[in-house]
Amino acid sequence: MTNTHPTATTEPASDRIGLALRLLGWVLLGLIPIYAWSVIQAPIDSVQGVMQKILYVHPPLAYGAYLGFVATAIAGGLFLWKGQERHDQLAIAGAEVGTLFCTLMLITGPIWARGAWGPGNWWVWDARLTLTLLLWFVYLAYLLLRSFTEGDERSARFASIYGILGVVLIPLNYWIIDLVGGAMHPDNIEFEGEQRSLGEGMGLPFLVGNLTFFFAFAYLLVLRWRVGVLRVEAEALAFDDQSSGL
Amino acid sequence: MRVALALLWKDLATEWRSRDRLVAMTVFSFLVVVVFQFAWPPMEPEEVVRFAPGVLWVTYVFAAVIGLGRTFAMELENDAMTALALAPGTRGWIFLGKAMATWILITVVQAMTAFVFALFFRVDLSSGLASTAAVAALANVSICSIGTLLSAMSVRSRFRDVLLPVLLIPTLIPVLAAAVNGTTATLAGDGLPFAALQPLIVIGGIYSILCFLLFDFVLDE
Repeated sequence: MTNTHPTATTEPASDRIGLALRLLGWVLLGLIPIYAWSVIQAPIDSVQGVMQKILYVHPPLAYGAYLGFVATAIAGGLFLWKGQERHDQLAIAGAEVGTLFCTLMLITGPIWARGAWGPGNWWVWDARLTLTLLLWFVYLAYLLLRSFTEGDERSARFASIYGILGVVLIPLNYWIIDLVGGAMHPDNIEFEGEQRSLGEGMGLPFLVGNLTFFFAFAYLLVLRWRVGVLRVEAEALAFDDQSSGL
Repeated sequence: MRVALALLWKDLATEWRSRDRLVAMTVFSFLVVVVFQFAWPPMEPEEVVRFAPGVLWVTYVFAAVIGLGRTFAMELENDAMTALALAPGTRGWIFLGKAMATWILITVVQAMTAFVFALFFRVDLSSGLASTAAVAALANVSICSIGTLLSAMSVRSRFRDVLLPVLLIPTLIPVLAAAVNGTTATLAGDGLPFAALQPLIVIGGIYSILCFLLFDFVLDE
């Protein structure tokens, strides 16, 4: 396996990742105030009241929840193919950040459901909620597999395999749940025509919310990735120092 | 393929001599069926038929977890895992041999469990028996494929007895849903429409091929 070892002539991977992190950070810093302002000034829904504003939080979290696992699977596949540790670190980052977004989605969803559908309706077994819950369990299984497997290289290899299996599960579960039934979730949002789901003034905060959470996911993913790569580089340096007798 | 068949024969012969997995899985399945009797309120046989597919498949999945936990655990003894890794050809054939042996074992256990279930709950499983068996056989392909791969991974970890179910059960959800759907149709006497078999065929195909290809990365001896 090739470690990313910083030399006089090779720019370490962590530096390149750090540049991407700074760029993402600036974009996110610009988006957050716009997002906050757009949510505060968005009109209050006549039926659901202020609870409806979870719309600007809950669906955007889905980006992180699903993209996280896609990142984990792709990075895991690259690790199996090329054996480079930075790919494994990206896979870990995808899983950890994805788990965070998935957990937040599972918390905000029932809060919204209770507010929108009334007392006692914290949870329904409809397709999207069920799929998200199953994805959350796959994430947890992935993280447990990493923790319990002995040996760093073996742990990375096994986790990569499970990441690939997990990403295949997403469309499989969606198909099966669709086949066997599931019902109450709001339909996909319509932006045009008489069936518009969003009222006047709600389009902008929804769009900005989606952008903000996407960049928040990207920022956290790259941040966690950089931490992992820095640790690997530090360990490689310490090993080299030890070998040369310092 | 010779490697797969040799491994299939080895596992079946070992199991025939000791019968430890067969006995453990069968007794466990019977116990789960009995637990359901106490977990349910009294019901008429017609009502029981509605729940029968779900109960049967929950029992089957848990019994499969018990059996799959031992698939590679016995290879750890006397460093047999290294010997397996040295077998000629692609390691996917080792996976195939193990999966086929587990498929036979699980199918036998399921048949005995179904008989006991029909006896205890007075459910007539004879209507659509062949169709129900076909659903089970196809679902077992998925269970054994993914279970064999994950068993090989979890056997080299701490808390392997806990890790395997945690890894396996999320991957079995689509199989479980499709199998219950198919079994519901067959027990209701509706025959076996292709629409009920199709998910099992697709999932079984995807899991088998994926696990065959990925097994090469699991054995690192």
